[in-house]
Amino acid sequence: MNAARLLNRLGFYAAVAAPFVVVAVAEHPFFVQIAIGVAVSAILALAWDILSRTGQVSLGHAAFFGMGGYGSALLTPVFGPVLGWAAGILLCGAVAVLLGAVTLRLRRLYFTIATLSFSLSIQVFILVTPDLTGGSTGIMPPVIAGGSPPHQLLFITACLVVAATVSDIFLGPRFRPAFFMIRNNPHLAAASGVPVTRLKILAFAVSGMVAGLAGACYAGLYGYVIPEDVFTTNWNVLPLAVTILGGMDTTLGPIIGAVALRALEEVARHFVGGVGYQVVYGAVIILFIVGMPVGLVGFARGLVRRRRKPAAEADTVKARLAS
Amino acid sequence: MSGAVMDEIVMDGLRIDGCTVAFGGLRAIDNVTLDIPGGTITALIGPNGSGKSTFVNMVSGQIPPVAGRVVLKGQPITGLRPDRIVHRGLARTYQVPKVPKELTIQEVISVPLLYARSDRPLPSGVRSAADLAHYCGLRPAVTTRCGQLSVSDLRRLEIARALACRPEVLLLDESMAGLSLEDTDQVIGLVREIHVLGVTVVVIEHVMRIIARLCQHAIVLNQGRLLAEGAPQRVLTDPDVREAYLGKGFTL
Ligand SMILES: Nc1ncnc2c1ncn2[C@@H]1O[C@H](COP(=O)(O)OP(=O)(O)OP(=O)(O)O)[C@@H](O)[C@H]1O
Ligand SMILES: [Mg+2]
Repeated sequence: MNAARLLNRLGFYAAVAAPFVVVAVAEHPFFVQIAIGVAVSAILALAWDILSRTGQVSLGHAAFFGMGGYGSALLTPVFGPVLGWAAGILLCGAVAVLLGAVTLRLRRLYFTIATLSFSLSIQVFILVTPDLTGGSTGIMPPVIAGGSPPHQLLFITACLVVAATVSDIFLGPRFRPAFFMIRNNPHLAAASGVPVTRLKILAFAVSGMVAGLAGACYAGLYGYVIPEDVFTTNWNVLPLAVTILGGMDTTLGPIIGAVALRALEEVARHFVGGVGYQVVYGAVIILFIVGMPVGLVGFARGLVRRRRKPAAEADTVKARLAS
Repeated sequence: MSGAVMDEIVMDGLRIDGCTVAFGGLRAIDNVTLDIPGGTITALIGPNGSGKSTFVNMVSGQIPPVAGRVVLKGQPITGLRPDRIVHRGLARTYQVPKVPKELTIQEVISVPLLYARSDRPLPSGVRSAADLAHYCGLRPAVTTRCGQLSVSDLRRLEIARALACRPEVLLLDESMAGLSLEDTDQVIGLVREIHVLGVTVVVIEHVMRIIARLCQHAIVLNQGRLLAEGAPQRVLTDPDVREAYLGKGFTL
């Protein structure tokens, strides 16, 4: 990576982290809780987006989210906090490799259905193995940062920067073109020397691990987690909704999307109240999918490009007049 | 020519030995045996639907043959994965280029430059994707997205992408179809240059004028079978070949 690009990215990470750090330092309890939720959603959405760049649309990321939480919780007593988290996240990667290998040949919709069924079966697995996983009574993961929300926010912000860095690596020159080629035309990718299978499984493994990181953060918030907290449809759909709202194939998109979705949720809750707000919230997401498939980031980029274009055309007109 | 000499010539080319590709009941390639001599520009011709593109798909590993062997430079490559076959030194273009719209020229060419891992050299003076785009006569800026390219530029991009695999054998599937006379002449010049680099080139073409000018060897497929093979002049005047094309409006 050249120095300019490195500097650009460091500036970007600082800009992403800054608002979260400000909220943490201000210690406003409501906003700290919101910011923690946003950061966890953003990490999970980044994980989802990395996989989707290879054309694999998952509706089962709650599985990795939950496994990250459960894995880190169950392995920390064995390995200590640092290695315990690492082992929990590696477990997610290993399971992702297996799932990736099994679902490799499935066409788009079938792949999505397979990931959804997988997340449901993991929840069942937890319920039927109470001795190992605590079953329906749940588990008590070690609490992050001694249970101080502002410190938890700082820690999770650091995790978000890690996730953003991983996302950027897979948007770099080595992976972005190859991933998009795999998504668009795998035969063309293979005919260009790309080991298609290996890269699809690599994307799955990385995506699973980043989702596991999000789950480990989430499980460490209160020190108590039951299966319904993590293995729910909500965590399956959320990364997809967040990424579509913010913009696919970018690092900024899932982060902006997480902020926008949370804001939308709060506003809808304020005006509609009860559980009715979920209908409004769902409707807005559907509107976005139909009306703005490029997401907020893609839309903003389009605006910038359109504004530059007339300038370029003016140049050519000038050139023509001059000649 | 004695058998030993023939084998030596074929060692650095491509040998197809009793190959069959079937789609259900249709044998798109039907027990074909032929040699593409190394160091030649070979024409692969035949009426529409005769199996030319299927032949390319078979050789490049996209649709492996159900029977027979494909041998590249004396090494069997039958059943290898397409990316492995690229690593062995065989590249192909697609008749209908379908590249991701959001990628730029530079990004598309960079994929084989990164992944086709080869120590074979690029054309002299060519070091980057941009050089290669220029070498293949792509005029738009390398930062242009593929969604904005004309058909003729997409064809050139396909050639550039295949060249970036640094092949020893290159199969071009109708790279000149639908191009203007001027563009066709440029691509012919490009194919000649690639050939001079030491690449064995197989061109699929419908226009006989081009074949006669460009190729040292010709192969004719008809309904998946090998109809004729040999020097272009002889093959193009072969009564069987003429008959296969009759009624299709082709002039020889
Ligand atoms: N994937 C496929 N599935 C089923 N049939 C196929 C497939 N690909 C090709 N075919 C059939 O195989 C036969 C040979 O097709 P192919 O595309 O190889 O012909 P071609 O010589 O390249 O023709 P053209 O000059 O039109 O490009 C045709 O009858 C075609 O319909
Ligand atoms: Mg064809």
